[in-house]
Amino acid sequence: MSFEDKNFEDQLRRSLRREAAPPDFAATVLARAAASRNVISFWRRPLTLALAAGLSIAALLPPTVAEYRRRQEEQAAEARAQVLTALSITKTQLLRVSAKVQKNTRRTL
Amino acid sequence: MNVGLDFARIVEDNQSLVFSLAVRFLRDRDVAAELAQDVFLGLYRQLDRIDSPAHATWWLRRSICHRCIDEARKRKLRPRIGIDSVQEPRAERREPDLMLNERLRKLVEKLPEAARMVVLLRYQEDLDPSEIAEMLNMSISTVKSRLHRSLAFLRGRLEKQEVCR
Repeated sequence: MSFEDKNFEDQLRRSLRREAAPPDFAATVLARAAASRNVISFWRRPLTLALAAGLSIAALLPPTVAEYRRRQEEQAAEARAQVLTALSITKTQLLRVSAKVQKNTRRTL
Repeated sequence: MNVGLDFARIVEDNQSLVFSLAVRFLRDRDVAAELAQDVFLGLYRQLDRIDSPAHATWWLRRSICHRCIDEARKRKLRPRIGIDSVQEPRAERREPDLMLNERLRKLVEKLPEAARMVVLLRYQEDLDPSEIAEMLNMSISTVKSRLHRSLAFLRGRLEKQEVCR
């Protein structure tokens, strides 16, 4: 790098020295930061959290109850079908036994 | 939030850095002030991830560089004319050294975005080419090339102005 180059770069450094921010800059930033902190703390308040939890439960509860009822109805229908099948088998067996008893009674007489 | 770091102190110590980069890059004091404030608020929200004042300075410098580049793209501040056809600043009758400083600043403002940011980081912030490359996600050779071409442009324009005076 030549002496002229070095001089030119030094001149550029002098030209591009940092300039001061506007006088109210820091105060404005701090005020905006304080305002944003208040916004954040709203979401961390216990009441806000409780409300959010309540809304979540309220949103999730109806589908859960509906699903529980549907399963109960399915189980009831299945049990009813099993009882009807059992009754049907019992009826058939009773008819057979009854027929045999009548047949034996006739022979005895 | 990192209670060990004093946010007010960080603002006080770095406001000039952040504002100067923004105003020299964007050429608009109001937009620069707004953007610089946003960058400080971004830091405030991430203060728990900041280890030290030096880390805060690094974060702010990096953040303002990228925000400025994004803002310039958004506002289409990119010069629509080539580097050789830029209008030269008018010479004013003022104290010689101050006038030279102002002429140089105005010439820097005329550089294309990427080159302008590289020059600002090199000569305002005194960063090495490797640090600039890391900050702007560029290769070191690209940074050096942009610096070399920018310096040649600035010197050429300045000498031309001197001849015309």
